[in-house]
Parts: sequence; C-alpha cells; structure tokens
Amino acid sequence: MSIIEYAANGLVYSSIIVLGSIGLSLIYSIAGFANFAHGDTMTVGAYATLVAFGVVGGVGFSVLGLPMGFFLAMLIGIAVAAVVAVVTEKIVYEPLDIGSIGLLITSIGVAFVYRALIRMGFGADAIQYDVGTLRPIEALLPYGIRMTQHDVAIVISAAVLVTGLHVLLQHTDLGRKMRAMADNPDLARASGIRTYRIKLWSWIIGAGLAGSGGAFLGLFNFLEPRMGFNVLLVIFAAVILGGIGSVYGAMLGGFLIGMVVEMMPLFTDLGIPIGIEYAEAVAFLIMVAVLLMRPTGIAGDAIDGEGV
Amino acid sequence: MGALTDPRGYWDDLTITEQGVTAAIGLIVLSLVLLLLTGALGASYFLFLFGLAGMYALLSFGLNSQWGFTGLINFSVAAFFGLGAYGAALMTASNSPLGGEFNPVFGLLVGLVLAAVIAVAIGIPTLRLRADYLAIATLGLAEVIRLFTINERQLTNGSAGLRGIPTFFEEWPVLGTVPDVMPAIEIELLPGSPVVLGLSFWQQLLNVALLLVFLGGTFAILRRAQRSPWGRLLRTIRSDEDLAKALGKNTYSYKMQSFVLGSLIMALAGVFFAHLNLVVTPDQLDPITTFYVWVAVILGGSGSNRGALLGGFVVVAIREGSRFVNEISVIPDFLGGAPLRLLAIGLLIILVMRFRPQGILPPQRELIWPSAIDDAAPSRPDRGVRDSKGGGTDD
Repeated sequence: MSIIEYAANGLVYSSIIVLGSIGLSLIYSIAGFANFAHGDTMTVGAYATLVAFGVVGGVGFSVLGLPMGFFLAMLIGIAVAAVVAVVTEKIVYEPLDIGSIGLLITSIGVAFVYRALIRMGFGADAIQYDVGTLRPIEALLPYGIRMTQHDVAIVISAAVLVTGLHVLLQHTDLGRKMRAMADNPDLARASGIRTYRIKLWSWIIGAGLAGSGGAFLGLFNFLEPRMGFNVLLVIFAAVILGGIGSVYGAMLGGFLIGMVVEMMPLFTDLGIPIGIEYAEAVAFLIMVAVLLMRPTGIAGDAIDGEGV
Repeated sequence: MGALTDPRGYWDDLTITEQGVTAAIGLIVLSLVLLLLTGALGASYFLFLFGLAGMYALLSFGLNSQWGFTGLINFSVAAFFGLGAYGAALMTASNSPLGGEFNPVFGLLVGLVLAAVIAVAIGIPTLRLRADYLAIATLGLAEVIRLFTINERQLTNGSAGLRGIPTFFEEWPVLGTVPDVMPAIEIELLPGSPVVLGLSFWQQLLNVALLLVFLGGTFAILRRAQRSPWGRLLRTIRSDEDLAKALGKNTYSYKMQSFVLGSLIMALAGVFFAHLNLVVTPDQLDPITTFYVWVAVILGGSGSNRGALLGGFVVVAIREGSRFVNEISVIPDFLGGAPLRLLAIGLLIILVMRFRPQGILPPQRELIWPSAIDDAAPSRPDRGVRDSKGGGTDD
C-alpha cells in the first residue's frame, strides 16, 4: 500500500475526528470543563440519524451513493444531539454548584446514562445504515487509492460544516461573542455579553457537530453503543495537540491525529515494529508528549496556569 | 469514648447522617443474617459477594489515598487493578505463558512490584499536569496498558485470559488443606431447608479471611497516614498546591508518594481478585472498573476511609442487584443486566454530584486524633467537628 492510500484513509477518518474535536474544544473553553460525555453525544447523533433515516427512508435522488434522505436524516440527527445536549445542560450541569472537576465527573455519569439508554433501545450489537456497501471509485484505483463514494461524501460534508463554522465565528455577531467568551469569560460578561446565551449556543454547535461526526462514524464503520466512547480519547488527543480552547487548533489537531492513526502501517513499512492495533496507543502517547512539552498545544494561546 | 464502653455517648456523638447510616447497616446485616439462616441466600455465594465488596472497598481505599487525600484525578484505577491481577495470575496460573504455577506469594510480590514500577513510570510525566489534564492522560495511559494485555498474546494470553489460578492458600502448610479437612456442617433452623456448609464455604471463608487481612492492614495504615503530618500536607496540596509550594514543600515528590501508595493498594485488590475469581481476562482492565471505584469514593465521601468502605459495598449491591433484577421475569428483557447497571451508575454519579457532592460520610473526626477534640465542641456536630471548631471544610 502506498502513502497516498493511507493518506486518503486518513483524510476520511480525520474528517470525523475534526468534527468531534471542534465540539469538545468549544465546550471545554466556554462551558469550562472536559466533557467526558462528548463521545456519547456522537453516539446519540449516530443513532438519531439511524432512526430518522428509517422514517424518511431513501427519498430523493442519490448523491455520492447516498440518497438525499440520508442527508435529511443526518440533519435530524444533528438536531437531536443538540437538543439532548441543551436539555442535559439545563437539567444536569446548570443547577450544579461545583468546580470544573465536579463537572468533569458528572459528565461521566451523563455519558453512562446516554449509553445505557441507547443500549436499552437498540441492543449492544453493531448495526449499519441501510445504504448498501459500495465498491471503491474506479477512477481513483490507478493511483492506488481505494475510496468509496461514501468516503468522499464524508470528507465533503465535513469540509462544508467546518467552513460554515469558520464563517460563523469570523463574520457573525454570535461568532465574535463566542470568541470573546472563549478568550476571557469574565471580560466578556463585563462587556455586556449575555454569556449564558452564548454558552447555550456553544452547546448547540458543539453537540451538533458531534452528532454529525457520529453519523459519519457510523457510515465509515458501523453503529454500536460504545462507538463514541471508543473515539473519545483520540478526540481528546486531537484537542490537546491543537491546544484546548482553540477551534482552529482542534481542526488542525483532529487532522493530524486522524492521519497518524490511519498511517500507522507506515511505521512497519519503515521498519519500526509496532502493529496497527496500537494506533490509538500512539495517539495517546503523542497527547501525553504534547502535554509535557507544550501544554498549550500547537495553536493554543498562552493560557494562565489554572486554565479555564 | 469507645462504642463498647459508652454506647449511649458514642451514639449521641454521631452526626445525624452517621446515625442514619449506622441504623441502615444494622437493618441490612439483620436481614442478611435472616436470609442466610433460612437458606434463601447461599452462604458461600454470600461470602463471594462479600469478598467482591471488600475488594471494591480496597480499590476505593487506593483511590482515596490519591484523590481523597491529595486531589490527584487518577482515571487508571482499572489498569493498576489489572496489573495486580495479572501479576498474580502470570505467576500462578496453569496456562500462564511465563511458566506459572509458582507459590501465590510470588504472585503477590510480582503484582505489587509491577504496579509500583508502572506507577512511577506513569507518575513521572503526568503528575506535573493540572487536574483535568491528569484525568485525560491517566485514562489514555490505562488504555495503552489494556491494549497491551489484549495484543501481546505471548506474554498475557491475550483476550483468552489466564485460567487455572490456585486459591491463595493452596500451597500453605496448614491453611492449604483446611477446606478439604473441614467437615460439611448442616444447620437446620427451619424444618425442610437445611443450610449446608461444605467445601466451597470453607474456601470462601479463607478468601474472606485474606481479604480482612488486606483490608484491615490498609485501613490501619491509611488511618495513621491521614492523621499524620504527612497526611496533613497531602490535604494542603489538595486544597491549595501553591500554598504547599510556598511553604517550601516539594509537592511533586509528595504527589508521587501518594500516587504510588494508592496504586499499590489497587494492585493488592487485583491480587486478591485473581485468587477469588480464579480467572483473569483483559475485561478487568476496562475503564468501567475505574468508574465503579470513582462512584464508590464520591458516594462514600472523598477523603473518608469509612466512606470508601461504604461506597465499595453500595457498588457491589448495584452490580449484583442489577443481575438479580435480570432474573425477575416481570422486568422486560431490554431493561435488565448491563444497561441497567450502567444507567444506575450514571444516575448515581449525577445525583450525588447534584445533591451531596461531599458524599454520604464525609471525613470529619477521621482527620484528627480523637484526643485533639475538646469537650467544648457541640455534642451533635451536624456540620462536622471541623466546621464547628471554625476549621472550615477541606475541599
């Protein structure tokens, strides 16, 4: 297998990790804690997409091997993930009067509740979307790239979502306020920004992106109740690599970590005997190394010692 | 004033919560005794459950000496538990790739040494990190250890796990033969339902004895440590690390001591588990074990060893209770078993953090020598001795 092929796989996986990382980073900087339920929010998005797809079915013409109904279902999945996150914020996190560590521990409880409810509803077995399996695109095969139309759909959709977020952050009022709040919550509040509303919006956007990432992860592999938790640590690695609190850092970190995980076989080709089964382990080790050498990450600003 | 010499005064001196918990425990013990005597609950199964609960309590002790004392968020409890279990199993199991079938004492030593070495190796890079980074990093490193046990078949037997582990006392001179020598006792309190105490009962009784030695030893050490200047310093690090630094203390070194101590206790629980369960698989290193122990510690009260004991028993009640619910046919299938357990644990974490973040039995007089309490303290310190003496809370 060639480097190009690993890179193509890496691009698809990275797209999914980026969608998860942005949300985690946003919530880390604006809600102020490491949200361990973020992976399971992805799972919620994936299963909501599954249900919605079952309802709307394969309506409409087909784009990149996916009926329009799937994209519609994914929008519903995104909405459900966002609603679930907002309801959780209202019921669970908001009434709490504890520090960021308490919130972190609470989010583990939230993650378990999500996962338990999904297992009760759908069982523990792996499920797939009813979109059929595709053969790799013929035109790319001569270059040694085995990519299906679904993979292309994932990359393009992720690019659209990320570009949309970039426009939102840079060119809208909400985006400016979110950046201000991520930068310095106290100053933002003192400047008259209704921080409570911004916090809700960051939950909506972060969980929505996580929901889309979950739906794509289900399309890339399959759906199972632990799917989100299984990528959570990879996403944390990406967020830390990029620098916690920086949305653009999360994009970069997600891209790099996704690439590293998918390019693992190259290590063996280069004579370093480490199997593909240690891909995630390598991601964690990179994370720990980054934490030690440059705790602010690649794109992170110099944060004060205590952080958010 | 001891509970025996002055029961009345002892009772009055407890906080309302403590009285409630004591009364509840009394009721539960009473009903358990009734269940055992009538044969509704098998004696050896009960002892097995008791062993499991004590094991969780031991794990909670370990986490308590890291999180409760020093404020280290260690999310690799399952990894250290697994290191202890694998250390013991690799030395003793009949299908161990490393030869095995040594005396369990070697397994105990290997498990502890393994845990201490890995604890130092993990601690050196991570203990400098701030709290939430420490949580993520330890969870990541625990996953690395789990991936290692699954994939390095030539060392660990992979997902098949290790079988044929002897009981701890099997090769000991007298204790090893006790289960075989002891007679089967038949107790018939109710006509028609005799309670038979046979081989497995004596086996489990030995297990429980071993557990009580482990638990008692650990409890005594931790109690002593908690009230010592060393423990006081750890609490200072927990509440204000900069202050401890400003006082000229090498906080990194103290954090390492607390981390290694906790990890050793977790490995001890792992060793016990290997000889209780007689089978060890990589499943035991799943992060869920870590979170069970966190529930136990938070529920019991961070920093409180009595709380950790209580939390350990509650966690086993949830784990085994959900299994029991599974067998009741009224409950629909999809509700039972693993998802229900997960839901219960999740809700418990949320509810405790919402309504009682300090836990059921927060540390109060545990932290100070009894002789240090003067009689001027209110007889019923609902908010704890420390508060009423103007000490403030420690978290």
